[in-house]
Amino acid sequence: MALIVEGRVIGLLSLLIIAGSIIYYMQRAYSGKLPKLRRLAAVNQIDEILGRCVEMGRPAYYLMDTVTMDNPSVLAPTVAAFQILAYTARSAARLGARFFVPVTQGLAYTIASEIVDEAYKAENKQDELKLDEAVMYLPDGADRMYIINHMWSDGMAGAFFLGSWYHKAVIFTENAARVGAMMLGGTDTTHNIPFLVAICDYSIIGEELYALGAYVSEDPTVSSSLAGQDVGKFIAVILIVLGSVLITLGMSIKGLLSM
Amino acid sequence: MSDRLVKMQIPMILTAVIGLLMIIEFFFPMPASVTSLNVTLRSFVTIISATALILGTIVLTIFHTKKVGTRGSEWYYSIVYVVAFVVTAGLGVLNVRDTTFLWIYNNMTSPIGAALYSLTAFYITSAAYRVLRARNWNAAVLLVCALVVLLMLIPIGAILFPPVVPLGEWIRSFPSGAGFRGMIIGTSLGIMGLGVRVFMGRQKEHLGIREERRDSE
Repeated sequence: MALIVEGRVIGLLSLLIIAGSIIYYMQRAYSGKLPKLRRLAAVNQIDEILGRCVEMGRPAYYLMDTVTMDNPSVLAPTVAAFQILAYTARSAARLGARFFVPVTQGLAYTIASEIVDEAYKAENKQDELKLDEAVMYLPDGADRMYIINHMWSDGMAGAFFLGSWYHKAVIFTENAARVGAMMLGGTDTTHNIPFLVAICDYSIIGEELYALGAYVSEDPTVSSSLAGQDVGKFIAVILIVLGSVLITLGMSIKGLLSM
Repeated sequence: MSDRLVKMQIPMILTAVIGLLMIIEFFFPMPASVTSLNVTLRSFVTIISATALILGTIVLTIFHTKKVGTRGSEWYYSIVYVVAFVVTAGLGVLNVRDTTFLWIYNNMTSPIGAALYSLTAFYITSAAYRVLRARNWNAAVLLVCALVVLLMLIPIGAILFPPVVPLGEWIRSFPSGAGFRGMIIGTSLGIMGLGVRVFMGRQKEHLGIREERRDSE
């Protein structure tokens, strides 16, 4: 019997190298050696959007679209969106911005409630929080009309579109643009990235969604893991160039990839 | 049991152990007992999702009932919810194959969902207008590429201007395809980074305990 399932050797090697690099950089951070990281512009934009909401006396919406956490492709961006929610909710509490988080799934609703509640507690602003109004469970389908209606009636001044976005990306961002809200959008669903980039004032694409989650954690060991991910990018670039050269020379790499 | 143990340590240990079990099963041939354990664990996902649905329904019903009771803002909409919930759930509980219950689903829930989904078409048109304005040279490139691909996709496009077909295919296969692949590689690396951080218990905001960690350190 083979030691490794056939066709998965390269995948396992890649996983070990990249995960190893991430752990290595996190361990280095423990000993005080921090890598240089480019500050993501989106971090400043979160505070800018919330500040605008406070100045205008209007609410900020934090929308995550699909949050069905039993779906693996949705789980990862949803967890990343929760991480950014922790930072955003705390900033909203500190600045005194009205904050609204509609959620379309029971499990995600519980988590979002907990995150927002703790963020307000951390800023000693729990008196200003009406949790059942700030975080609301809206069944999928009913959420569209409710959110669009309230976008207009509240005259929201800022919105965050982060997580796993599908067709609602267009519906909500277009309405938010018409209301005149300042928007930050970010998703990893490739077919909806163009809409968020085109309509939102600020956008984070693909991997930046995960990087932002690590960056706003304010824990240097967590943000150092981003340097480990860069090792994966270098490997990907080398493999792409190598593969292109080999194929151009007429050498097949199918056998290598199916190991 | 302490709050910290229940809210932080147990979920983190469960995440790491079950996650590693799934990864090991994916890469290495495992005995039938391990595979069967993993299948059972995966079936828990369905059970937890169903529980979450019930939880969500309870939360929503409590919220709307309270709203009706306190005459909160737009409380009359809450009556619609409460009545719709009681009637539909009641009929469903009595007999899920009941014709009235199915009628409600087929003639009310389903068409309303389809109508709401179809809104996307109007918003896409409006969003396309917003996007396809040649404000700078980047937007101009986008506009030209979008027009070529649109012409390629509509039947009359190829008749009016045949070269749009190979040009459109080239745009989709090479510049667009390369960009998307780069994005997918980046996203995959981001997910791996997130996974490692969660497995190591370094990132746990999703458990709602961000502040607890900071206070404890």
